[in-house]
Amino acid sequence: MWIARYPHQNTTGTSRMTRKALISISLVAALGIILVLGYLAGRTFRDPARATTLAGMTVLEPASPLPEFRLHDQNNRVFDRARLQGKWSYVFFGYTHCPDICPTTLVVLRDVQKIAGGKEQGIQYIFVSVDPGRDKAATLKNYLPYFHPEFIGATGGQGELMRLTRALGAYYESGEARGGSYEVHHSVAIFLIDPEARLRALFAGPHDAARLAQGLQRLKGD
Amino acid sequence: MACRKRIAVGVLLMLPCLFAFADTTVVVRDAWVREAPPGAPVLAAYFTLENQGSKADRLVAVLSPDFAKTEIHATEIRAGVARMIALDALSVPPHAIVRLAPGGQHLMLHHPRRALAAGASIKLELRFDSGARLTVVAPVRRAESGAVHHH
Repeated sequence: MWIARYPHQNTTGTSRMTRKALISISLVAALGIILVLGYLAGRTFRDPARATTLAGMTVLEPASPLPEFRLHDQNNRVFDRARLQGKWSYVFFGYTHCPDICPTTLVVLRDVQKIAGGKEQGIQYIFVSVDPGRDKAATLKNYLPYFHPEFIGATGGQGELMRLTRALGAYYESGEARGGSYEVHHSVAIFLIDPEARLRALFAGPHDAARLAQGLQRLKGD
Repeated sequence: MACRKRIAVGVLLMLPCLFAFADTTVVVRDAWVREAPPGAPVLAAYFTLENQGSKADRLVAVLSPDFAKTEIHATEIRAGVARMIALDALSVPPHAIVRLAPGGQHLMLHHPRRALAAGASIKLELRFDSGARLTVVAPVRRAESGAVHHH
């Protein structure tokens, strides 16, 4: 405030000089503080150990253990909590009658696989269909290899699906039937499950492959 | 005879009016279809509509001989949940550009009548409120997320 008032002050020559010097010193000091703060902020954001979160990523502290659930995969093998143990898992909910957001997300996950790797890196990619009425094991087996041959497809009864979605805070709901078809509304988030089958983080979307891969990298480094 | 002639002349004179009526200032650009896994029941098409004139128009229907049914859709994301909303029409205000793009508005194409892999192309006929009909050929393309560069 006093800087703004300065030109209107009616002062003697000497005190005007002193004031000028004071202003200069203050300005230099302020600039210095800004530079130091900027440097510190930059260091914090560059240091992966200090900043575990990325834009659009929510890390759960502590991680939230998942309950038991029982689905089946695209080969009709049991897909349960045990299948999430020992690996990091990216989980996405969708359905094969979804022409836009689901393939868009699966293409992103394909790119995450390219960046982060798959089995050899202890990472798995899981597409859970929330449309068990139309998506059978065989449907998923036809659909998923297009995106990546390692991708896992899972689905099951509504009760078991709910058990998993509720634990993750995911949501789905079948829309009204219209012209012999229906849509399924579903969460767009990608969930990251740790090797102890606990929800560790979630990505809200819109999804970015580099960010999804980086998020896991940071968590692994913790 | 004279009467019939007069009617014929009248009809002939009216023809340009019909064409004028069915005119639109909307142009379609960059149409493409997202390649889907083999056997996928639905595909999506995207394009850009640009209204170069000062009169609003509306896209009211799209026909394609390659699909059982087509619908104009919007993916709406509210509170983290994606909902697909069927739209009756898509407004194209004067001098506006309306984009149909992944994650937003798109054309939902039901039950392809033939296998559509990248490299194929499909015909779309866009019908407007003004009566205009625009035909575009949309190539089928493999979608990339853009995060990984291919060499």
